[in-house]
Amino acid sequence: MALTITCPICGKRNGYEFRFGGEEKGPRPDEKDMTPEAWCDYVHMNKCVAGIQEEWWFHKDGCGSWFKIHRDTTTNLEKEAQEAKK
Amino acid sequence: MKDIQRISPVVFKSTPSKVEKRDNWDVVMEYSGEGDGPYLVDLSHRPRFDLQSSKLAAIKPFGLKLPEIPGNCIFKKGILANRMNGIQVSVLNLDGQKDSSMPDEAEYTDVTDSTICVALIGKNIFSICEKLTALDFMDLQKKAPFLFQGPFSHVPCQIVTLSKDSDNSGLILTCSRGYGRDMINSILHAGEEFGLRPAGESRFTNWIKA
Repeated sequence: MALTITCPICGKRNGYEFRFGGEEKGPRPDEKDMTPEAWCDYVHMNKCVAGIQEEWWFHKDGCGSWFKIHRDTTTNLEKEAQEAKK
Repeated sequence: MKDIQRISPVVFKSTPSKVEKRDNWDVVMEYSGEGDGPYLVDLSHRPRFDLQSSKLAAIKPFGLKLPEIPGNCIFKKGILANRMNGIQVSVLNLDGQKDSSMPDEAEYTDVTDSTICVALIGKNIFSICEKLTALDFMDLQKKAPFLFQGPFSHVPCQIVTLSKDSDNSGLILTCSRGYGRDMINSILHAGEEFGLRPAGESRFTNWIKA
């Protein structure tokens, strides 16, 4: 399945130009009173959504930007943010 | 004390007919049998700087106002400035006669010796590029000069299209120095059917003046 990703600087490009950066998990948890288990969960536990998820990508062969997109994991197609919220 | 020796990562098989010593580089001004074009010119000796700052709007390298939008370029008085992203600009001094020294500010890094720089000039150069990259140089929405950051012959490159004129087009390509030999080999191989030949610096200087 061909994957294209839209870089905010370079535009739509071949997926092979990018590196996957993982699911978007929200802000880093507060370190105060944080247990090792909670940190481990934040780092390693993923939702692995079968559908639209927000995720990080890195344009390694291009401008070097880190950015977020919404992607439907079942079709491997990018989705607009508004469409993803539905 | 002995002078340092600066060796270009770009090596052509053609025989140089005119060579000039400049800033410890052996600069080939002309090759024998350059033909009618298109031409591949080694510009690795031309000074290049990487400029990184969170306040780019306040910086004017060589008196040049920097482009604000990533992907845009400005080419004035022999200086080419390419906006790469929000905080980074690459600056190329394409005027061989001007002072090549780097500005004193800490935001600049001299990348002349760590990258290669070549120019492709003449007709059919975009047909050659089409064989090596999926980047769309003929995009009607892009007005020269403009910057592409992407794979060229599978190598991450910065490519600036300087002119899209059919018979007189030109672009500048830079990438890491280590890819030099293979990059030149692949460009020359792709350009064989179009009559691409190595050319000396004089050819580029005359092209840019025209």
